[in-house]
Amino acid sequence: MKDAGFIFGSYIVTLGAILMFTFATLRRAKDSSQSVTEKDKTWL
Amino acid sequence: MSQVLQRTSPTGTRTTKVIGALALLVMAWVVVSGLILTPQDVVQGESVRIMYVHVPSAWIAYLAFIFTAVASASWLISKKHSMGFDRFAGASAEVGVMFMAITLITGSLWGRLTWGEFWQWDPRLTTTAFLFVTYVGYLAVRRLEGSVEQRARRSAVVAMLAVLEIPLVHFSVVLWRSLHQGATVLNPNGDVKMDDLMLFTLFSGVVGFTLVFVWLVLHRQRTMLLVDIANRQGLDAAIAARQTESLVK
Amino acid sequence: MDLSPRASEPSRKPRRWLPIILLSLVGVGGIVIVTQFLTSAIDYYCNVDEIGVRSGCEESTRLRVQGTVEQGSLQKSDGKTSFVMTFNNKSIDVVYAGDPGGVFQECISVVAHGRMIDSTFESNRIEVKHSNEYEEKNADRLDSSGSAACSQVQG
Repeated sequence: MKDAGFIFGSYIVTLGAILMFTFATLRRAKDSSQSVTEKDKTWL
Repeated sequence: MSQVLQRTSPTGTRTTKVIGALALLVMAWVVVSGLILTPQDVVQGESVRIMYVHVPSAWIAYLAFIFTAVASASWLISKKHSMGFDRFAGASAEVGVMFMAITLITGSLWGRLTWGEFWQWDPRLTTTAFLFVTYVGYLAVRRLEGSVEQRARRSAVVAMLAVLEIPLVHFSVVLWRSLHQGATVLNPNGDVKMDDLMLFTLFSGVVGFTLVFVWLVLHRQRTMLLVDIANRQGLDAAIAARQTESLVK
Repeated sequence: MDLSPRASEPSRKPRRWLPIILLSLVGVGGIVIVTQFLTSAIDYYCNVDEIGVRSGCEESTRLRVQGTVEQGSLQKSDGKTSFVMTFNNKSIDVVYAGDPGGVFQECISVVAHGRMIDSTFESNRIEVKHSNEYEEKNADRLDSSGSAACSQVQG
């Protein structure tokens, strides 16, 4: 494929950014949830 | 079941699991179709494949910023000033900034292949860069010192002003002379000139990115609630400790 | 009750300043974008037929000129690319020192940066301005028409 570096690069940047945001959010949630009771987790 | 979910992610529910699974499926299709199945463009050749991630990310960034403005307005207007609106606004803006960054990076890679340049200060690129900088500013405003109510009020005002930039960005290619091409799908005459599989893959991208957006916002706003509760508990504990100290003295 | 800050507690001051520093940078960035780039971005280019006619498109200044690469005019020799650029029935000769790259070809819209010197536009930067139409590449039709962009323009 011509210009494969640019094309694959754009997909890697996209998926990489989404994955990084996902892991950062889930990690923050885990850290913060330890001191919070089940009652306060209104979505459960 | 909820305990299993809690172990994997404290902010997850059955709904987020379903949305997440659907998002993974659709995104996998977009990658396969965008990189392999769709044809080359008659003029742009292989570089057209960048469109399937660039265009949906731009649209979802717009959508995220519009949701931020609507939630901010709801917080300001509502009598109860429900902090849920504020957290939703903040979560949506964070995800929107991420998608805007993706738009700028993938756009510059596409620009290098088609225009021959990574970046040019033409109307579309300049207004998009300004929009990105504005929302980075919005996120900084949210992190300023103050109570959660102060945070909500300040950021709501910024969000309602910042959203006015979106029509300027979208119509910059019509209002002014731009190097960036005009809109293909959202053009004023509604005549879409695009190969069928290309168009289907582009719409799949919009659906996939929307599912990712919903999943991320749900998790992020719940995380924000956990952080707010943890901070409040920390403050309550500190005050209680001081009260105990003063009683002992 | 003593509510004065504790000296022994870890200081969180650096984190407090972070949003203010970021906000200042954002403010400076925003001002630079508006004052330095947005004003010149609004009139990104002059069309070929506006050279020497429209305000801001004077022949004596450095220009960004937009037009279409005329079919059959493209020549490459001695490391230089020359072609005729047309817009609204007006044409100029363009000479570019190098190969424009990208998807540069005949019948495509381009923006050339440079100066008018002796009725020739001497360019040191060419940007390709592709259309908002996307069409499947068809090898048979490409062979018969000669240029992809011309086949798209002609339908």
